[in-house]
Amino acid sequence: MNNRLKVLRAERNWSQADLAEQLGVSRQTVNALETGRYDPSLPLAFRIARVFAQPIESIFTED
Amino acid sequence: MDEFAKPKRPHGPGAYVLTLGASVILGGLAGIGSAFLGDQPGPVGLALTAAMISAAMAGGTAGCIWWWRGIDEAAREAHKWAWWWGGTGGIALGGVLLMTLMIRAEQQPLPASFGSAPAEIFLSGMLSIVLFQTAGYALAWACWWLKHR
Repeated sequence: MNNRLKVLRAERNWSQADLAEQLGVSRQTVNALETGRYDPSLPLAFRIARVFAQPIESIFTED
Repeated sequence: MDEFAKPKRPHGPGAYVLTLGASVILGGLAGIGSAFLGDQPGPVGLALTAAMISAAMAGGTAGCIWWWRGIDEAAREAHKWAWWWGGTGGIALGGVLLMTLMIRAEQQPLPASFGSAPAEIFLSGMLSIVLFQTAGYALAWACWWLKHR
């Protein structure tokens, strides 16, 4: 699974810790998500979509 | 439930240390309690000792539930993966070593620290397996986070 988390976060000048706080996860989890090494659960994917105000499919794409 | 409520901050290492420390203290209290209250002959002493250990185990389990509910999903995934692959891998490795030692006891006697009475050897074997399981778990947990950095 690919994602645009890093780009979306950079556009908003957020640190990984900022995003982690908004999502209620650890900074390590945000890092694992951004590097594509960890795929989020559906509830977390929805939270990410809500934080960035974008549909899930515009953030996450299949390999 | 408020769908847009700000999520809680997940537990950090401090909560882990707190849970671990509280479990150790509970275990210590159970040990002290057993030494004083369980030091009676017959079923009363046995029941009191069991009650002390049960109370400590219940308290430790409650602490673990609190901690587990507070960590985020990636941290949970790391622990689940580590318990399955690391824990079972450790049991398998420990099992091979222990069974080889038991089957070939004539050529390779058990270490003296295992004891000599059957009950001592049994307990040592059990503790060895727990040690292998925990070591495997710790290694696998570290590997998961290294792999997902």
